[in-house]
Amino acid sequence: MSTIEQHKVVDSRGSFCPGPITDLFKAYRSSQLGDVIELLATDPAARADVTAWAQKSGNELVDIIDEQGYIRIVVKITKKRS
Amino acid sequence: MQRVVVVGSGDGGTFTANLLASELRNEIHGGLASVQLVGEHLKHPFQPGNLDIAFKGASPDKYVKVETELLRKEVDFIHDPAVKIDFTARSVATVSGRTLNYDYLVIATGAVADPSKIPGLAEGAMNFHTGAKDSQRIWESLQSFKEGTVIVAIAGTPHKCPPSPNEAAFMLDDFFHKRGIRDRVKIKFLTPYPRPYPAEKISHVVEPLFMEKGIEVTTFFNVDSVDPSKRKIYSLEGEAFDYDLLIAVPPHHGADVIINSGLGDADGYIPTDKGTMKVKGQDGVYAIGDATDIPVSKSGVVAHLQSVVVAHNIVSEMTKSSDILEYNGRINCPMEVGPRRAIFVSATYTSPPSDQSPSMVKYYMKRSFAMIYWRALNGSLESIFDIFFGQTRFPAAKQQEGEKPLIVVKSSQRSDKAYA
Repeated sequence: MSTIEQHKVVDSRGSFCPGPITDLFKAYRSSQLGDVIELLATDPAARADVTAWAQKSGNELVDIIDEQGYIRIVVKITKKRS
Repeated sequence: MQRVVVVGSGDGGTFTANLLASELRNEIHGGLASVQLVGEHLKHPFQPGNLDIAFKGASPDKYVKVETELLRKEVDFIHDPAVKIDFTARSVATVSGRTLNYDYLVIATGAVADPSKIPGLAEGAMNFHTGAKDSQRIWESLQSFKEGTVIVAIAGTPHKCPPSPNEAAFMLDDFFHKRGIRDRVKIKFLTPYPRPYPAEKISHVVEPLFMEKGIEVTTFFNVDSVDPSKRKIYSLEGEAFDYDLLIAVPPHHGADVIINSGLGDADGYIPTDKGTMKVKGQDGVYAIGDATDIPVSKSGVVAHLQSVVVAHNIVSEMTKSSDILEYNGRINCPMEVGPRRAIFVSATYTSPPSDQSPSMVKYYMKRSFAMIYWRALNGSLESIFDIFFGQTRFPAAKQQEGEKPLIVVKSSQRSDKAYA
């Protein structure tokens, strides 16, 4: 049985460290391989934190986009223990 | 008659009930107001004491008092756990079948540490977040531990007392040193965060101390499961570590009464205005402490500071006053970082923790809090706390213009009392 890949938007705007990365991990916990998580954050530390996590964990950092007043970090789940 | 019901008799609930009873004492004696505190436990623990029970062998009796002895006589303590809160009917149902109607409600139901949320965690790990008995189990296990790997893991966020996992690692280091077997014990710290402590400035203190003491850190470790038979802990990211003793902070969620009443978010925390502490979308309903979804530390100090705001705002609502306060996100979490050394993790919504150095003075301040906690619950230390904590709340209308000094209006000074 195939599963449908999910696209989740996690809005952490207004939240400061460790809020955004914690919100990302919540989404990661309930995600499946192939899912895409978009993290919206106003905390500039989210950029480095998510990048470091993706590098270490082997998940794919698809993009980091500077939006007006916040950043949009796109991660594809390619590594997760099942 | 103005009826206030406070649900939950932990730090925040007990203190809020006492503050309201103090402010409204004349009205309560005159039959114009009531303060009911709905609680599950007759005994009130000082929860930070669990660290001392687990890692220093302190007696649990040292950290517990009878709830009714902590309450002003004007508080009607109802030892009958709440099972349902109905915002529409403005009522609280208790396990014995009572229905308590309210005009104002304070939800102080706390957070629940729940090892069952991670496969194998309840069987494979011990913890000091589920009470004094479980903390004692850690102390007992440490007595017979001779060599091997002890893992301290954060198995879910947010959790109560953010510094406590770091403190546990420091205390283990001290314990094994005192027993003379530190060289035979590997202490490993597993955290989902990018660094040993989530706030960068605090991590600047913790990280070198962990290195100095040989406490190994693995970051970005989101606990997936534990296999008790293999004594192995696994992360979602695919890492795994063997352990001989596993001490893990369990995932937390909101109280059952909140979840069963359908009032919380996905984790059972109540959507709350981070300034006024009003439950979003509700009139006359407030939430404080660990029960809320506010992104600040789940700690007693936070609940305490929010209680002051909530009690003030309820009295203002009763008196039709526009004098509403907002909590500014002040946190103040002490962290022991080795023998007789501590730091304070202090911040607000707009000011992250700053650089600091461990000191003996901070250590003894932390230790003294275990003694003054009980007096703090009756409000008699507020003038000292106002000096120590500085600004923790602001007049609501003024906050957007900039942080103005607090102007406290005591009940005796109010000229606009108009209790219905």
